[in-house]
Amino acid sequence: MSRAEPGALITSAVPARRAARATLAGALVAAGALLALAPSFTSDYVQQVSFRVLQYAALGQAWNLLAGYGGLVSLGSAAFIGIGAYTTAELTNHGLPLIPGMLVSGVFAAGFATIVSPALFRLRGLYFTIGTLALAEALRLFMVNYNGLGGNIGIFLKSAAPTTAGLYWLALGVAAAATGLVLLVLRTRLAISLRAVRDDEDAARQMGLVSFRTKLFAFTLAAFVMGVVGGLQAGKLSQIEPYGAFGLQWTVDVVTVALIGGLGTLGGPLVGAVFTVVLAELLNAYPSLHLAITGAIVIAVVRFAPEGLWGVLARGWARLAAAGPRTQRGARRVRQ
Amino acid sequence: MHLPGTHTLVTALVSGVLLGGLLALTALGLSLVLGVMRLINLVHGELVILGAYLGYALLSGLGLDPLAGLLLVAPALALLAYPLQRILLLPLLGKGLQAPLLTTFGLSVIAQNLFVLVFHADTRSLSRSYATAPLGLAGLQVPAIYAISFAVALVVVGGVHLLVRRTGVGREIRAASEDPVAAAVLGVDVGRVYARTYALGTACAGVGGVLVGLAFSFTPTTGTAYLLTGFAVVVLGGLGSVLGTLIGGIGLGVIESVGGAFFGDGYRDFIGLVVFLGFLALRPQGVLGRAER
Amino acid sequence: MSRALLEVAGLTKRFGGVTAVDGLDLAVRSGETLGVIGPNGAGKSTLVSLVSGALRADAGRILLDGQEVTRLRAPARARLGIGRTHQVPRPFARMTVLENLLLGQIYGAAARTLRDARRESLGILDRTGLGDVADRLAGSLSLLRLKRLELARALALRPRLLLLDEIGAGLIESELPELIELIRSLRAEVEGILVIEHVVEVIQACSDRVAVLDWGRKLVEGTPGEVLHDPEVAAVYLGTSATGERTAAGSAGAAGAARTVSVLAAAAGDGRPERARAEPLLRLDGVAVSYGAIRALQDVTLEVRGGEIVTLLGANGAGKTTAARAVSGMVPLAAGEVRYRGERIDGWRPDQIAGRGVAHCMEGRHIFADLSVEENLELGGRAGTSRAERRDRLGAVYELFPVLAERRRVSGGLLSGGQQQMLAIGRALMAAPDFVIFDEISLGLAPVVVDRLYQALAAVNERGVAMLVIEQNVQRGLALADRAYVLEKGRVALAGAPAAIRDDPRLLALYVGEARGDLEDHPPASGGTHDWPA
Repeated sequence: MSRAEPGALITSAVPARRAARATLAGALVAAGALLALAPSFTSDYVQQVSFRVLQYAALGQAWNLLAGYGGLVSLGSAAFIGIGAYTTAELTNHGLPLIPGMLVSGVFAAGFATIVSPALFRLRGLYFTIGTLALAEALRLFMVNYNGLGGNIGIFLKSAAPTTAGLYWLALGVAAAATGLVLLVLRTRLAISLRAVRDDEDAARQMGLVSFRTKLFAFTLAAFVMGVVGGLQAGKLSQIEPYGAFGLQWTVDVVTVALIGGLGTLGGPLVGAVFTVVLAELLNAYPSLHLAITGAIVIAVVRFAPEGLWGVLARGWARLAAAGPRTQRGARRVRQ
Repeated sequence: MHLPGTHTLVTALVSGVLLGGLLALTALGLSLVLGVMRLINLVHGELVILGAYLGYALLSGLGLDPLAGLLLVAPALALLAYPLQRILLLPLLGKGLQAPLLTTFGLSVIAQNLFVLVFHADTRSLSRSYATAPLGLAGLQVPAIYAISFAVALVVVGGVHLLVRRTGVGREIRAASEDPVAAAVLGVDVGRVYARTYALGTACAGVGGVLVGLAFSFTPTTGTAYLLTGFAVVVLGGLGSVLGTLIGGIGLGVIESVGGAFFGDGYRDFIGLVVFLGFLALRPQGVLGRAER
Repeated sequence: MSRALLEVAGLTKRFGGVTAVDGLDLAVRSGETLGVIGPNGAGKSTLVSLVSGALRADAGRILLDGQEVTRLRAPARARLGIGRTHQVPRPFARMTVLENLLLGQIYGAAARTLRDARRESLGILDRTGLGDVADRLAGSLSLLRLKRLELARALALRPRLLLLDEIGAGLIESELPELIELIRSLRAEVEGILVIEHVVEVIQACSDRVAVLDWGRKLVEGTPGEVLHDPEVAAVYLGTSATGERTAAGSAGAAGAARTVSVLAAAAGDGRPERARAEPLLRLDGVAVSYGAIRALQDVTLEVRGGEIVTLLGANGAGKTTAARAVSGMVPLAAGEVRYRGERIDGWRPDQIAGRGVAHCMEGRHIFADLSVEENLELGGRAGTSRAERRDRLGAVYELFPVLAERRRVSGGLLSGGQQQMLAIGRALMAAPDFVIFDEISLGLAPVVVDRLYQALAAVNERGVAMLVIEQNVQRGLALADRAYVLEKGRVALAGAPAAIRDDPRLLALYVGEARGDLEDHPPASGGTHDWPA
């Protein structure tokens, strides 16, 4: 491209954008390879931190599907994570290997979601949110008191936990699968239906959509992923008890990850997970301060940057890609 | 599950009623804010516990008896809440229902962790001898603080009821809650009404918190439990009714108390939540409330 | 003989005390387009919602091609082939135009795979003129395009019956031919169309038959020509002139009212005869208001002088209520200014404007149902007045409307329509305003009750309170006024003395519609007041 005319600016932008896309694809492939091979050249500590990032990324994807694309703000994530943890613990204690155990846990969590859905989806908007919170807390309280599953003490896991690297790969697999699942869903009619229900449920019903079914699908799918992550958590620990498995902290973390990352975007949970966990590690010595700051960031994001980190990054990238040819060729000479 | 004796049952009933007053008091702020501004104040539980912590600070720092401290805690919380509403929440009006919810969620996270930072994660309580002294009520023994908080609850709930039903300020609140646009056209500064309501609700929460501190122990995370019981009370008693909150509180108190007598003390909160969920699913407008949208 | 595609029998729907649709019988034959017209509150939009399933009927039956659908929910009816557009477009704003259609393709009468759905949807978009914006976010479209999108979305269902709910509303003159063309082209692919309209050109050009609704029932049915020239229909739109005259002072009620109103008006000013003042009390200058993509008011200039009664007339959707809202601060202006006593009040909060002495008796009354009659009234009293004053004003309102005194402790929600309207008026007067906007106080009330209300209005005005009266009933409105404006599609079409407007041949056209040729010869006033001889 050597002609210095305004027209050339426009036409040269297209190859530049294509180049940008190719670069992105290449970067993703490289990143994927890097991630898979990471345990061979990173410390245990990094792998443990990454484990948490990947856990949160998976959870964030699930919650994002519900709240970001579907408009269903759930504060009950802890319920499904806890169900997953307990189910896996029981199953592995009875001899089932970890991975099948995790999958079954996901199914159990999804089953629970299906059972409570008819009652839960009668509630619209804010009442739905409160209902999910109450549900999760009720479950936790029940588990604390129900001695059949260990009550306050919980369950001790008999089988040995996988290695740090093993846990890392499991988490990588779960996160990749969760992201892939959401990607897949976004290509199907469920995504269209979800977003229509979010934008205007009554208008959607007028178009033939039975909104209950749509909400149910999204809810059970999210519950499944969360159950699997809960199972993953059980695989890592030697003891599962109600406060940790059904604790509200899970719910809080999931919401902040998805929100800070950016609701309604595919990359949001990934970015949000990295940000949240890295921040936690940096402020390791001051756990409460870190959480307080996280809360403040949530408020700021809601008010000033509802599209989250991902949105901010995406805008920056777009501006960079569009400005490509100009910076390459020196805008002053080209502009008339 | 075991069948309790009559004496246990009656004691449970009576303490349930008395405690119910306290529950109503802690729920009042939530009910007001939800009814008037359609705002789910997720930081409400923390506001209750803030009252408890303030009471604690006054007691340990100044040696001030918490009941006397009520007179300081209430206005302090109101003064905190007023700018909070105007600066953080008011600008979010009209930006959808999610934004204020998530903002109060963020506030709740901040508050809980500020508590840990300032007061540490230890379990605390406001221990006063008169609080735990047993009170003989018609042959039954209940801790005196139950009766005291019931009395305070009656006074506060009654006061708020009169304020809302009989004064000009209350009229504005009711009008703004029913139809904010019409109220504005008639000359009501709706933004100010909202801020005042939020301040009032927070003050009530704080008063409840001090009594909670006297009756029970608390930690930085106890707030969540009171948020949920608050909702249970609102749903049971009906949104939009101050007296309904009292009835809902007493109802919940009795259910929890009696349930605890049957199933064991640990199940109290659980039973309360189950009842709450039941009402939510079947009769969201509660016993006294008008059917909401 | 073609069977009715849609048949509605004895259809009834009540909202609280109001019967929106009252035992309605209607049919749309296969292959025809039925137009439905009627004044505000006649039940037209409710009809569409009932047929589409958005609302459940209280009584009656709905049959689609002989099959009973009365108990079916909205999604099921959509799958059977009932498609509708919304009066105010409700796009899925955060999805693209193409995606908006996909839903109907997937779940509608002819369920398709996603790939086929995309292809077909693109086809529909091309046909409805939206092909070039297929990938744009629906929320960013202009009004005309949003209306096309509503249509395209309904078509994506492959509907047998298409319900068009005021699809012409808010469009400007030049946009109508395109829309009419579009609707006519649909006859090929849809079995039957029901068109609800106020814009008469659309009805004339598109309908095979026209039905007129009034008070939730069918009044008249026939060809467009027959119906639009029917004198009964004209009466329904323009109102009867029987009781519109200002009452003579001899009537006891009016005398009593005049006496007590002095208390209300005393605080309003220093008693100087306001009529003599040259500067207008209220002035709108080039005011424009938009609701999203809909331009509700455009370049509106009008004024109310001290002590006078100005009536604002116009067909539905003409912008009358929007003008009222613009004055009292309920909606922001897109352009222009509003001045009260020379001071700019646009951009102020409603309570600030109320504090200046402007009262607004809103359309639909907006009584606080939870508050008692007396509490409603006390709320209207302006802050900063003494208790004694407020008590006096309360007494004055009770003298004006004795029935309110009898029911002072009753909840506002339990009053009848007429009593609520009295309460709304009394509430507006409690502030002792200098200027009051009365928006459609006659709506839904029996003529006798309306007489009483207008007596009260006249009495209040006697003492110098200026008024802007919005009225659907043309005759009544003109009888009361000192001056009048007629709005059409958001602009001032006529202005001047009541007599002149009443005799203006264009008046009927503005409401019921005649050949547009008339308007070409006599272009409407571009806004602004004229100094007509008193």
